[in-house]
Amino acid sequence: MAEGTGAYVRKVKRAAKIIFYRRHRQPGVKGWELRRALGKEYVKIVDLLNQHLSSIGLQVSTVYEGSERPQNPTSEQIDRARFYMAVKEPLTASDLVMSGWRVDDVAALVVAVSYIISKQGKAARKDIEQILREKFPKWRVERNLNRYIRQGYLNEVDDVLYLDWRARAEIDQRTLIKLVIGGETSPSSDQTATTP
Amino acid sequence: MKSSKDRNRLLRIISLCVAIERKGGNPFEVGVKEALETLRKYLPHWKALEDFALDAKTLNRISSIVSLQGNWIKHRSSTLFVDPLLIELKVKMLEPEKLLQIFRRTWRPVIEMDRLSKKRVLEAIDYWNRLQSLEERLMKLPEPTGVLDFTSIEELIKARIINEESFTALLQKFWLELKEKAAGERRIHYWDFIYAPSYEETVVRAYLTSFLVTYGFATMEIEPLEEETFLVPYMELRELSLKEQMISFPISIDYDIWKEMAEGR
Repeated sequence: MAEGTGAYVRKVKRAAKIIFYRRHRQPGVKGWELRRALGKEYVKIVDLLNQHLSSIGLQVSTVYEGSERPQNPTSEQIDRARFYMAVKEPLTASDLVMSGWRVDDVAALVVAVSYIISKQGKAARKDIEQILREKFPKWRVERNLNRYIRQGYLNEVDDVLYLDWRARAEIDQRTLIKLVIGGETSPSSDQTATTP
Repeated sequence: MKSSKDRNRLLRIISLCVAIERKGGNPFEVGVKEALETLRKYLPHWKALEDFALDAKTLNRISSIVSLQGNWIKHRSSTLFVDPLLIELKVKMLEPEKLLQIFRRTWRPVIEMDRLSKKRVLEAIDYWNRLQSLEERLMKLPEPTGVLDFTSIEELIKARIINEESFTALLQKFWLELKEKAAGERRIHYWDFIYAPSYEETVVRAYLTSFLVTYGFATMEIEPLEEETFLVPYMELRELSLKEQMISFPISIDYDIWKEMAEGR
């Protein structure tokens, strides 16, 4: 029994290292990588890790392929999902100030992301530029969009902008849309669930 | 024998499908049934290989549209569906501060750590051991072809780029301006500070700013990922320490950037 518990503890530590440390160009790991390192019970190990992380305000977020989280993900979908270490609760205003984001940069990102979501995940760059240019100068709009692309929030293919991995991992899309259109929402309605 | 008119008809169908795919428009705007009937009508008359290829390409595009129509229905029935026009109207009405609050409630930044493995450290040591000294590497650089020198203050006064006001007094005045402009956010974006209505004035302001930083009136914060440069004024003049490592950071005062900023204001 004690030996079994020890094995779980070792696996939880290993899971934390695998997810926390950058191994690829993007942070986080795929489900199949966790399976290879932790065995077929890796979802249970991640669940245990989440319990430990919760006390320090962190969580393991799971982002599935496609725009919507499946209702009952299959093992194949979980294997293909990406697991990230992320902040659990919404940031405070001072946290956001410390993160170095300017208010106009955040506003432009929210506008771009919510418009792309409403257009089923892709929108012509010039349409987004047109909306942003109503409030920001041209040079700032171009610089901001290029920066979001570099940071991994947006992806551009042939003048069409898509949501990239960072937007899908970090932004709770459903809550964002509800807040933009003015509906109230509970802070816990995350699109990126904590565990599968 | 089919005419080029028929080929153009297929090309128009392809072009419509591509436009819908790329812009994310309503895929039901494509009349799939009519398009397929057109293909069926033309197929028996095609003779050349290019025409068959065009037929196959059109069919491929139509099938993509059918797939998009399926996704469109799925998205409309999902909780993420909202009319793009409504979003457009809403975001136009919202103030940046309100958008900031929305972002704060929906953003869960990813956390990660970088680490050095033993293998990487060994590689780095090996690289260091094999690296030639800077002196040896510089000896291999070609000689400069032109005569390059720094512009002195006197030359700038002579060229009427700056006036005869005491340079130190000018810097003090400039420092006060920087402190005032950066007061709210502690720092100010480099280009926002140096920008002036004319390009010449902008260059002079950039020149003076370089002295503010070099002489300890202010410092620069550089965010390499965002490619942003900020100026942070010191409240009191700082003594320069020769023990500290000084670095040069060249910034191109590009005329095109200035022009874009001028057009945007």
